[in-house]
Amino acid sequence: MSATSPNDIAISIRNITQRFGEEGAPDSVLALDDVSLDIRKGEFVCLLGPSGCGKSTILNIVGGLFRPTSGTTLVEGRSVEGTPHTDQIAFVFQESTLFPWYTVIENFRIAMKFRGMAASEWDDRAMKALKAVGMASFARHYPDQLSVGMRQRVNMARGICVETPILLMDEPFAALDEQTRMVLGEDLSQLLAATGKTIVFVTHSLAEAVFLSDRIAVMTARPGKIKTIIDVNEAHPRSPDFMLEPRFSELRNQCYALLRDEIRATMAAQRDPAGVEA
Amino acid sequence: MSTASSTLGSSGAATSRRAFHLRMILIVGIVAALEFYGRFVADATLFSPPSKIVQSFFTDIMGDARIVRALWICIVEIAVAYVLSIVFGVTTGLLVGATPFTRRAFFPVVIALYVIPQVSFLPLTILLFGLGPAAKIAFGFSHAIFPIIINVVSGMRTVRELHLNAARSMGASRLDTIRHVVLPHMVPSLFTGLRLGMTLNLLGVILAELYVSNSGVGFFTRLFAEDFNPGPLFALIGSLAIIAIAFNEIVRIAERRLTPGAHRKTIIKTAGKEKQ
Amino acid sequence: MDRAGAQARIIQLAIFALAAGGWYFVTAAGGVSRLLLPSPGEVGTTLLRLIQTKSFWNSVGVTFSSILQAYVIAVVGGIVAGYLVTRSKTAMGVLEPVLAGLFTIPLTLLLPLFILFFGIGPASKIAYGATYAFFPVALNTIAAFGHFDERWLRAAQSMGASRWQTFRHILLPGAFPVLVTGLRIGFVICFASVLGGETIASAVGIGHNIALSAEQMEPGRLYAWIAFVTITAVTLNLLITSIENTIVRRDRK
Ligand SMILES: Nc1ncnc2c1ncn2[C@@H]1O[C@H](COP(=O)(O)OP(=O)(O)OP(=O)(O)O)[C@@H](O)[C@H]1O
Ligand SMILES: [Mg+2]
Repeated sequence: MSATSPNDIAISIRNITQRFGEEGAPDSVLALDDVSLDIRKGEFVCLLGPSGCGKSTILNIVGGLFRPTSGTTLVEGRSVEGTPHTDQIAFVFQESTLFPWYTVIENFRIAMKFRGMAASEWDDRAMKALKAVGMASFARHYPDQLSVGMRQRVNMARGICVETPILLMDEPFAALDEQTRMVLGEDLSQLLAATGKTIVFVTHSLAEAVFLSDRIAVMTARPGKIKTIIDVNEAHPRSPDFMLEPRFSELRNQCYALLRDEIRATMAAQRDPAGVEA
Repeated sequence: MSTASSTLGSSGAATSRRAFHLRMILIVGIVAALEFYGRFVADATLFSPPSKIVQSFFTDIMGDARIVRALWICIVEIAVAYVLSIVFGVTTGLLVGATPFTRRAFFPVVIALYVIPQVSFLPLTILLFGLGPAAKIAFGFSHAIFPIIINVVSGMRTVRELHLNAARSMGASRLDTIRHVVLPHMVPSLFTGLRLGMTLNLLGVILAELYVSNSGVGFFTRLFAEDFNPGPLFALIGSLAIIAIAFNEIVRIAERRLTPGAHRKTIIKTAGKEKQ
Repeated sequence: MDRAGAQARIIQLAIFALAAGGWYFVTAAGGVSRLLLPSPGEVGTTLLRLIQTKSFWNSVGVTFSSILQAYVIAVVGGIVAGYLVTRSKTAMGVLEPVLAGLFTIPLTLLLPLFILFFGIGPASKIAYGATYAFFPVALNTIAAFGHFDERWLRAAQSMGASRWQTFRHILLPGAFPVLVTGLRIGFVICFASVLGGETIASAVGIGHNIALSAEQMEPGRLYAWIAFVTITAVTLNLLITSIENTIVRRDRK
């Protein structure tokens, strides 16, 4: 990793450990074990790892949704103490979190109201973000009236509309078909080039990780640690042609090789206790 | 995914066990408080401590052949009314839900009848069926049949098109489809109806029993209340509550045994619990 | 309306006509004793006569004021208790199964106790109706607030919503449909239990009049009262459904 001055760092995760439940209790889970990671401004970092390794947990801690058991997180130099820095960070969650009792446009307004943004800005920003994902004509629909894919696009737009410098995205495209995923991925790459946003992105798709990331943090099985960091040297916005380059498949295979061991380890760990019970 | 769910599952078991213990402590606490209240505070003509009620159960209730007989009759009434309501309720439900058309034509009629407060028909039911068990069975039956019909119909309605098509693609006949797809699918909904049906059946029978005050359970509750004799009154009501709980429990056990898929799930859950 | 829908309507009308016609002809032909089933005409005229008497409206007044008082107690008690229970995971784990279990026992059993404690007057019916209706209100309040989808709370938290904003914009609208269901079931139960209480042991009210007419073998009056209760219940039901549809803008899946 090249030397960087502290001013370039958007997010600094330092020795984070997260344990759910009391240590020693039968239901205690060590989710993260001493994780450290620095993320530069304007960088796109992907967290890649087996299911249950603590990717969402990292995002939730950075987002200030809860305090880690130990360790600190700095966002733009300010420490996150379990309170969301809503002026700097926006979240896009794994499943659509559009509130079903509000229409699409009302969902945007409420997100900006909660952040304390001026009411006069709400509708302009909402429509701008909706246009960006091609959903402007559905502003007055309720989420239930949209398809799963449309809902997730709106969900992403709601994260973008507040124009924070940092965007945390937890498998935002998991529910989408592959074509839509790829198109939205390209959009995201463009957004990154245009706005210089810092994005931390969780995905299970190897191709998506390579296509979007500047760096890929590959994690171990639970308790989650950062296993390796893979650099992808390619400028944003990226074109689909990038996927055809030999470098692309090489990186993809490299990620897969790293992950395969971890996933086998997880599966073996799961099979064992089950074998005893049966 | 499965890592997450298995850990959450076991932590769920631990919390629910703790909740169970707390619940027991709570119940013991309440009984102790009632004992104290009944012994030292309450007016003896209105309230009895739990210890006296238990004592009264053995002397006044079990010791009185007339009351034991009244309780037995109650049990028989509940059982007969329930069996009748299942037979007629399921049959009617299957007929109403048979096709989309019959459902559209007849289901609203069932719903409309269900809206009428049946309790206003209580004296009329006694007038029609007399003071004996027939009236109580009729009243329990008329209460229980509606939730059964309604849930059978909605269970049939929600069969997934996907499963029907899958069966058809495997060359299943119409009868096969009903036997292997529609019926298993509606079991959970049927049991929802049966559970609700039992609750309402108990309500109907007991309402009718209490209304008829010159014989049976209604006579004795009235007798004890008028004599300001709370011990046996509480004991009698407690006996009926235990009968009601037993009937509810029978339905619940049947549900657990007979719902396809539910049985297997329970085994895995118990295994997980035992591991700890 | 499509053709199948129209046919379904015709069948429903036919069922209604058959029931009404059957009632008319059976009584006209003298097939059943007038004591068990008076003619529709007799029931109609009796009802018309009844509603012109002062005692009729007195009875209706007593019953409805009892229902209203019982309902207010049940709603306030049920919502407050239910909400408080959901504020602690432990309390919910301990108490929710207890409340749900109690609710499957026919609480009608408690009626003799309420009469013992509160006497034969309206107070015992109010207490009984309030107790019975408390359960569905409390249980639905617990279901609404206690089993709330974490995702939405997390999303609101990530947007920096204050406690009050979370309650006002997330918890309340999310819980509302379930809450309203509890209020509706509670009302139906309140109505039926006050009426049932009056039928079994009372000296005033609609239920008392129904029981009295039956005892005095006055089928015209008995059926007139039943008709009145049925019409009232159906009207109230339509009213509640339409209110529910206007308040709860949309039914969530
Ligand atoms: N609130 C919680 N209470 C207890 N355990 C939790 C909690 N949240 C997460 N965990 C545990 O922490 C571990 C990591 O969870 P996390 O959701 O971060 O995984 P993930 O990497 O995002 O998985 P996935 O790819 O499936 O989304 C899991 O084993 C999970 O069981
Ligand atoms: Mg996750």
